[in-house]
Parts: sequence; C-alpha cells; structure tokens
Amino acid sequence: MKKSSLVVASLLLLMSVLLAACGGSNANNGNSSSSSPQGGGEGVKAREVTLKLFIPQPRLKDEYDAFIQKFVEKEKAEKNIDVKIQLEMPNADNAPQILKTRLASNDAPDVFTVHAINEIPTFYKAGYLEDLSDQPFVDKLLDSVKESVTIDGKVVGVPMETLMWGYLYNKKIFADLGLTPPTTISEMKQTIEILKQNNITPFLLTYKEAWMPQLFVPLTVGALAHSENEDFIDRMYQDNGSFSEMKGIFEIIDLVNANGTDRAMEIGPDEGSAQFAQGKAAMWVNGPWHAETILSADENFEIGVAPLPINDNPEATMINLSTSTTFVVSPESKNKDVALDFINFILDDEVTNEFYQSLKFNPVAKNHTFESYPWVNEAAEYVKAGKAYQDPSIPQAVKDESGKVLQAYYTGQATQDDIIASLDKAWKDFNKINK
Amino acid sequence: MIKKYQSAVSLLLFVAPAFICYLVFLLIPTYGGMYYSLTDWNGLNRTYSFVGLGNFVEALRDDRYFTDSIWFTLKYVLFMVVLQNAFALLFAVFIESRKRLKTFFRTIFFMPNMISVIISAFMWTFVFSQVLPQLAVKTGLTFLDQSWIGDPKYSFFSILAVSLWNGVGYMMIIYMAGLQGVPEQVKEAAMIDGATPLQTFFKVTLPMITHAITICLFMTLNSAFKVFEVVYGLTGGGPGRSTQVMALNIYEEAFSNNFRYGYASAKAIILFLMVLIITVIQVNVLKKREVEA
Repeated sequence: MKKSSLVVASLLLLMSVLLAACGGSNANNGNSSSSSPQGGGEGVKAREVTLKLFIPQPRLKDEYDAFIQKFVEKEKAEKNIDVKIQLEMPNADNAPQILKTRLASNDAPDVFTVHAINEIPTFYKAGYLEDLSDQPFVDKLLDSVKESVTIDGKVVGVPMETLMWGYLYNKKIFADLGLTPPTTISEMKQTIEILKQNNITPFLLTYKEAWMPQLFVPLTVGALAHSENEDFIDRMYQDNGSFSEMKGIFEIIDLVNANGTDRAMEIGPDEGSAQFAQGKAAMWVNGPWHAETILSADENFEIGVAPLPINDNPEATMINLSTSTTFVVSPESKNKDVALDFINFILDDEVTNEFYQSLKFNPVAKNHTFESYPWVNEAAEYVKAGKAYQDPSIPQAVKDESGKVLQAYYTGQATQDDIIASLDKAWKDFNKINK
Repeated sequence: MIKKYQSAVSLLLFVAPAFICYLVFLLIPTYGGMYYSLTDWNGLNRTYSFVGLGNFVEALRDDRYFTDSIWFTLKYVLFMVVLQNAFALLFAVFIESRKRLKTFFRTIFFMPNMISVIISAFMWTFVFSQVLPQLAVKTGLTFLDQSWIGDPKYSFFSILAVSLWNGVGYMMIIYMAGLQGVPEQVKEAAMIDGATPLQTFFKVTLPMITHAITICLFMTLNSAFKVFEVVYGLTGGGPGRSTQVMALNIYEEAFSNNFRYGYASAKAIILFLMVLIITVIQVNVLKKREVEA
C-alpha cells in the first residue's frame, strides 16, 4: 500500500511538471492572441485582429514600434479594427532558419521581410509570396527600385533597404592629395601610385569573413555584364555560359589584392571599419552598410562612395543598385486585408518620410523627399547620370562559393582557372537542384 | 509475481521523464534526419521527392569538398586522440606524484575546460591575431609573428592548440581517478623486485588503468570527429575551405549554399556511421586488454 501510494504521488508530481511546462507556453500564446475588449465603441463592436510580423532587424526596434503604434491607431480610427501586433525580431543570423521553419510548418507570419535580390526567387518559387501588383503603393515606387522587387512581371514586396555602392574612399585623404575617384583602371593605377608615394596603403583588405571578398563578384560581373555581355546572367541560368567570359574581372581584383593591407585573412569587417576610420587605408571595397560602425569610431570621418573601375572603358565604371530588406505578405495570411493595409501604410504620404528617415534608409518612392546622407547623395549623382546597373541576380550558392574561392585565391591556393571552374560548377549545381 | 510487476512499473515511471525528453529531443529528430536523408528537400519547398540512396552516392563520389573535409577531419582526429591522451596522462601522473600543491595544479589544469568552447575560440582568435604579433615585436621572437589563423600552413596547429587547451583537463581528471585506483602494494612489489620507475609505469600502472584509457580514447575520438565550435570560431573553415571539418561542411550545406537539407542529412548520417564503426572497433579491442586488480 505504501509503495503504490509513493509511486502514484511521484507520478502525479512528474505529470504536473510536464504539463506546466507545456501549458505555460500555450497560455502565453493564448494571452497574446486574445485582445482586451475595447470600451470605446458605441454599438458597433470593434473587429479584433492579430497581425503577426516578422522583422529580423532588432537594432531598429524602437523605430518599428513607433510606426506600428501609428498603424494601430489608424486602423482603429478608420476601420474600427483592433489590431494586436505580434512582433518577432530575431537576430539576422538566426532569422532565415526561424522563418523557413515557420513557413514549412504552415505557421507563416502575415507580414515578413526577405532579401530582395537573394531570396525573392526561391521564396516565389516555393509559393510563399503574395502578388501585390494591384496595391496602391506600387505606383509610388521609383522605377529603378520597382524592378528589384518584381518577378515574373509581378510586384511582390515593398522595398525598405536599398543600396547604391561601389567602393568606399576616405574623402579627407583624397582631398589632401588632390585626388578624385578614378574612372578607368589606368587612372586607378595612377591613384595607387600617388597614395604609395605618400606612404598611404591604397586598399583595406578584410577577408576574414568570406562574404567580404565575395563583394567583388556582383561589382565586377554586374558592371562587365551590363556594359559588354548583357545576357550573361540569363544564359548562366540556362547552363549556356561560363565565367571564362568574365576573365576581365581579375585585373581589378589582382590590383586591389596587390596594394592592400597586411594580414587580410585576420581582419573582419568590424575591425576593418575601425581601421578605415583611423585612416589606415584610403579605399575599401565595401558598401555603405558599415557607415554607422565607421562613424562610431570617428564621427567626423567623411565617407565617399565611388564606382569601381573594371577596365579602361569608362562606361563600365558604374554604381551597383541593389535592394535588400523587403516587406512581403504571406498568401496564407488569415488577415490579408489588415496585412495589405500595413504594407500600404509603409508608403503612406503622411508617415513614410519620417519612417524611412528614422530607419536611416534611402528614398525608394516618388513621395520620399527627405535628405539623405552625403555619401548617398554622392552615389545618387552617378545614378542620375545613368552610370548605374541593377545588382545582378546571382544565386546565393554561387556568391557563397565565390567568397570562399576568392579567399583561397588571395592566399595563393587557387588559380584563376580554379575560380572559373568552381563558379561554373556552383551555378550548374544550382540550376540542377532548382529546376 | 505482483511485486515484480509493481517494481518494473515503478522503475519505468521513474525513468519516464528522462526517457520522454530523450525520445522527443534526440531519437525522433535523428529518425527525422534519417528520413530526410532519403529525400531532396531544401528546407523551404512544400513538396519534395524521394531520392533513396542518391544523396549518399553523391556525397561520397561527386562531392570533392566533402571528401576533402573527411581527410582533414581524420588528420585532426589522429592528432587529437594521441596528443590529448598523452598530455592528459602526463599531467595526471605529474599531479599524482606531487606531495604538495596537488589541488593547485589540478585546478589550473582543469580551468580551461570550464570555459565554453566557442568563447575560448573567440578569445584565442584575439590572442593569435593581436597578442602574438605584438609580443613578437616587443620581444624580438619573430617566429611568433605568423598569420596563425590566416595561413593554411599554421591554422591546423592553431585549431589543435585551442582544442587541446580546452579538452585536456577533462581527460586528466579521468586519468587521475584511474591512477588513484592502482593499489600501492602492486607498485611496491614491483619496486622490491627491482623495477625502475619507468618500467613500473609501463608494465604495472598502465595495464591497471586500461579501463580509463578505453573511456578516454572513446570520448576523445567521439568529440574529435564532431569538432565544430573551435573551427567555426577560429577560422570559419577558411581560408577558402582549407580548415573545413565534416561538421562545418554539413552545416554549410544545410544552412547556406543551396540549402540542401536532405543532402546534408545524408552527409550527417555518413559521419554518424563513421564514428559508430570506429568507436565499436576501438572499444572492443581495448576491452579485451583490461586487467582486473
């Protein structure tokens, strides 16, 4: 009798512990989805809606919170809908995994973000992007930006972060030595000579993380393809091309590698930002996404953005236009009308300027009138003069491979032919797997 | 009869919570992985197709990077197993033979093990890339001024050094426990019979701690094959792919490149089978050599 009552008691204890663990998480979900009844409505009861947002940019939480607050107020005032927002803001490192898990288990957020150039093709093919072509915001987008969020003729997202980039240069060093950004590779060689004569290292090399040397590929391939080989990217997607057509890219890569800082394999972009701000090198093949880090090391630093020359053709020296973070809507959303209201509100005339400015993003629409950073304006000059091209839609797998193989190229473990062979193979594999 | 049934049931109930955790978080995902290894799922698509053993064939025949990583991992395992056990045994014998300061040495040799592996990897990245070059400049020992993690010639040894620094302490404790179990009378008897200390060690002590050696060899083999954090933190597999171990190759196959979950699961199963076979062989061989006091 004693033994069995001991067994039953311990069994009850264990069960209650397990149930508490499971029940706790259920209760949390339950609480957040149940909205508190509003006492304001007279007669017409407010419709209660839970909107699930997935925005992996925790560094901008405050700005998004302010925007969401305005949206909730607007929905309540105009449509008498009580919107309860469930906002997920994971770190950018884990976010792709979390998002894919949610999508695969049919638990998709109503509104989430993807990287326009890298992720829209795969997500669209898997059927996770709602067609937004008939939404009011579409007409407000600038044409060059609209192109980057269009696939198969359909607009599938609201672009948030756009980039105009080539390489960064230290404006003060250039001004002191009377230099202007070179327009051809011969001029670049002259610039390098002048810098070396003044004991300044021309280029900062930060190859510790593979995505830094990978930046060469969109810059050089994009410029070469746009100026000489227009259908290169399309042909590669059809297994009908080879990187041997792009041998010209190695000239600038070799030039940068030969005139750069030491110990490139041990410096990552964060440390590189600090070194660049300290004037350890005059130029850095990188985009302006590290601007804040550079400015936090030296707030008076003047960042310049210039297009990277590839060869002696000045027409090939252009700025790369690219779109990254883009808001999309899930076709499975149960509250699609509220989700669509949300994304249209992003470009709403009254709030959009303040919103984009607070996020420090570039203008993407015709109703964006705010002033941007000086380096953005500088890059925009090139774009206005027509010296820009869309970031080529190279598969992520090929970009990852190029980062690794360019690291090996720098340390002398791979030759140019190795690079061409492995990039061709990576693209063919991509085509085979994703046909 | 009823008493036996009751005691069996009560045993099961006590094991139940741990078993349920084990089932849900280890067994079911493992079987899930085995199932996905037979498909071509890419982690995102809603549908996928069954490819049978195609993934396994591709991994071993067509994937040059995977076979390179297998060789690199084997090289690492060989060095780690030999060096980790040798150092651990050395330190254990050293500590056991101390009369004073036993606890002090035991503590400082074990402390590196208490630091999480990834933290020590980041710590050592700083040492290798900043501290050693500065030291070389200040003291004139120029051989310290190498690119310890950027140069493929030296990065292997850097990874080895950090792994050893982190892992030796744990094995040392096990060896110390084994050494303490060797009865004094046997060692004294050997000394009376005229054995030198070295002979005593190899002919008397070592056979008596074979069970500790079996365990330590098994554990070092197991963890060396699965090495990930040290390489990820120190070199990221770079430069290029020169320090890419199997676990890192599988991780990149699944979570970057083409996101081939199914294919990466197949590679993970291959790793599992390799570790299983080698460990079974090793444990069986050494079990036969164990000697009871």
